[in-house]
Amino acid sequence: MKKILILFIIPVILFSMSLEEYLQNLQNQAKKTDSSFKGFSAKRGEKIFSTYRIGKRGKKIACISCHTSNLRNQGENIFTGKKIAPLSPKANPKRLTDIKKVKKWLRRNFKDVYKREGTPQEKGDVLLYILDQ
Amino acid sequence: MKRAIYIALAVMLGGFAFAQDGKTLYQQECGACHMVYQPQFLPKRSWQKIMQTLQDHFGSDASLDSADKEKITKYLLANSGDSKRVLGEFREIIQSIPPTQTPLRISETPYFKKEHRKIPRKAITQKEVRSFANCNACHTKAQQGDFSERTLAIPNYPNWED
Repeated sequence: MKKILILFIIPVILFSMSLEEYLQNLQNQAKKTDSSFKGFSAKRGEKIFSTYRIGKRGKKIACISCHTSNLRNQGENIFTGKKIAPLSPKANPKRLTDIKKVKKWLRRNFKDVYKREGTPQEKGDVLLYILDQ
Repeated sequence: MKRAIYIALAVMLGGFAFAQDGKTLYQQECGACHMVYQPQFLPKRSWQKIMQTLQDHFGSDASLDSADKEKITKYLLANSGDSKRVLGEFREIIQSIPPTQTPLRISETPYFKKEHRKIPRKAITQKEVRSFANCNACHTKAQQGDFSERTLAIPNYPNWED
């Protein structure tokens, strides 16, 4: 019985990476591509977050188009009208707790605005900015 | 033998504890970006095509991991408009789709277009509504599956009557 329990517990522990670990992973990757990399910056993250680009469906958008520039506020998907819960963990403690979700949304939303995935450095910068808000 | 039963039970319980069913996943994953459209609105072939093209889902990368995708697809196909008897607006919409067409949007179907043809464009694009994707904005009971006229209220168009 014990063995069975362990069998179930191991994958849960293995797959539930913490945000700290994920940031560490991103940092290791960022260092690999740029030896002068000195750590993530919330300020750079803010710039990434508020820069307008021709994004999804040819529309000029930034991350703030849907998330607003106050991450403690509720946002809204400007294409579908669906409300988006605040991104800031201070306003919404569930945020950034599920790394599977964090990865998914970073991938999707970078593509929505920048039409490409973010680099490890960009992802780390944005995460730091969100944590900072 | 007894032991084997315990093991089987443990496996099942463990599985239930971590697995979410297709409906819940559909609500969570798809409902994160838009209204949770009732699967009855579209035929199987539409849902199949939508689920096979999630990498470019109306301009967004909505791809899922394969386990989640499979469960959601199964739920959608089992509840599509042509897999069981559907009534009311669902029936009208399903019946209006020519068999040669595979609509990816409910708003592309002939019955939908006919029912919304008189609504001013501005009423749809206004920020309280945004687009036809946002059924809830005017159909106040859309999520419960009620699209009847008496539940209709277009924001900023208080005197709208069809």
